[in-house]
Amino acid sequence: MTISLSQNLIRSSLPIAQGAEAKVYKAHLTPESPPILLKYRFQKDYRHPFLNANLTRSRIAGEARAILKCLRSGVHVPGIRMVDATDGVLGIEWIEGQSLRRLLPGGAEDDGSDNVDNVDSMDTDILKEYGVSVDELMKLIGIEIAKMHRVDVIHGDLTTSNMMLRRPESFTSSDPNVTTELVLIDFGLSYQSTLTEDKAVDLYVLERAFASTHPDSEPLFAKVLAGYAETTGGNWPAIKHRLDDVRLRGRKRSMVG
Amino acid sequence: MPGKTRKTPLKDADRDYLALGLEGSANKLGAGIMKHSKDGAAIVLSNIRHTYITPPGEGFQPRDTALHHREWALKVINDCLTKAGVSMHEIDCICFTKGPGMGAPLQSVALIARTLSLLFSKPLVGVNHCVGHIEMGREITGAQNPVVLYVSGGNTQVIAYSRQCYRIFGETLDIAVGNCLDRFARIINLSNDPSPGYNIEQEAKKGNRLLSLPYATKGMDISLSGILSAAETYTLDKRFRAQGATGDEDTITPQDLCFSLQETVFAMLVEITERAMAHIGSKEVLIVGGVGSNERLQQMMGIMAQERQARVFATDERFCIDNGIMIAQAGLLSYRMGYETPLAKTTCTQRFRTDEVHVAWRA
Repeated sequence: MTISLSQNLIRSSLPIAQGAEAKVYKAHLTPESPPILLKYRFQKDYRHPFLNANLTRSRIAGEARAILKCLRSGVHVPGIRMVDATDGVLGIEWIEGQSLRRLLPGGAEDDGSDNVDNVDSMDTDILKEYGVSVDELMKLIGIEIAKMHRVDVIHGDLTTSNMMLRRPESFTSSDPNVTTELVLIDFGLSYQSTLTEDKAVDLYVLERAFASTHPDSEPLFAKVLAGYAETTGGNWPAIKHRLDDVRLRGRKRSMVG
Repeated sequence: MPGKTRKTPLKDADRDYLALGLEGSANKLGAGIMKHSKDGAAIVLSNIRHTYITPPGEGFQPRDTALHHREWALKVINDCLTKAGVSMHEIDCICFTKGPGMGAPLQSVALIARTLSLLFSKPLVGVNHCVGHIEMGREITGAQNPVVLYVSGGNTQVIAYSRQCYRIFGETLDIAVGNCLDRFARIINLSNDPSPGYNIEQEAKKGNRLLSLPYATKGMDISLSGILSAAETYTLDKRFRAQGATGDEDTITPQDLCFSLQETVFAMLVEITERAMAHIGSKEVLIVGGVGSNERLQQMMGIMAQERQARVFATDERFCIDNGIMIAQAGLLSYRMGYETPLAKTTCTQRFRTDEVHVAWRA
């Protein structure tokens, strides 16, 4: 069996991380070109091969499609550099910056154990470097999601791990008024939908991710919604109403009040 | 364990402690006696269970299940005490399932617990069923701080511990995975003995054709009801042969459907578990709940864990499937932290989320 071009590219790249779904590499298409990020959806051996091949193909293609749609409508997402759906490889722009999870209280636990106390002071310092307060950051999250939902893209896996802050030196805009750029990443579970329901569930997924990762996050998430509401405009009441419904839907939830 | 581990708030036992655990939130009635001895060991003295089994094609109704529990309570508890070789007078506390579960069976067992408590003047401890599963799994396997996949007939949750609370990372948005499998077993008329899930597992071993079913993960949540409907639709397909393979090429057998259902649903479960592990950076995964005794699920989880240099902890049917000892274990932990449920508060509730419990005994 011959080795495909994508496989070859992966071999010459630097492994960065292994997420739940994919291995991530830093690669160069040509020696002089700027780095790109390769996302390789490797074969999951626990899954039936047939199921796996179908899922990989549809997820890579779907991911590329969603990112393109976002790019065209001004949502901050990484640019697309290459797509190979059969091999499960997606090449996107390399973003200099940091994952939001690590910038928020409680998110910096890296060993799964509970050591929240000593990171609080650190967070604010890093955020200062990006020129943004926590409140502004929350609003930015809401705005980006609203922009994405406006073009009917549903992210499907909104967590603070899937958001990044660009370093000031690599902004896409040259407007001096722009002090921060929040980038949405990982569209692996995204899909297109015009339904209020899907948008509400998207927000609900993020709310739950906030609650489970960043303790006492309720006031934070309220600010996310405020930013979202502002940008969404007329559609907000309907989405808010649906979000309230979705919250009641999880199992074994108390039905009081 | 890397990183800082805080000192556990649970003090060493100053003497031996004995707890009787009573469980009856679904169709299993269980009684078990747990001993926490002075040297720190937790010993299972006895673990007796009786299951209410309904005919093929039928589920268990709350009223009949409650009746079963009432009829079997004396025998199960007596057997449990005899096997353990202790008398009721030596017990420190009586632990019972407060919820979640079916109302009528829960009430029957709570009533039994109250009666015993008044007869022998023993304190009562109400226990969250899900926390019982987690604590028993941790005790048996020795997993320190795992991501927990709790899969049973009534619950499907991905849980991780943080700040004295078992937080739910992902869960089913509609029906539980065990419910999905059980109901499919009913559709194809599989026996409920020893359990519908077990029989599906055996049938799935004979299937080899993967039929396409919806694959519904939403972030860390999953949805299962559509998959059940899709699987049921296949049984109405003209290619479906209820009696199994006939040698024809293009047929769909119940075995194929069991196989496809398991492969699809378990892949979704493993996927959300892996996502939770990646999200919090954990290297341990613990499977609890009745569906957790499915060997194919354990195998798939094992492959996933191996890929990410993590470890899987699973228990066998004695501790996976609902039992009394897990209630005794979780109850005794909170009893040793000074927690008792006063008689007036020994009500049950069908809705009692895992994250509502204050996990006082962990750092």
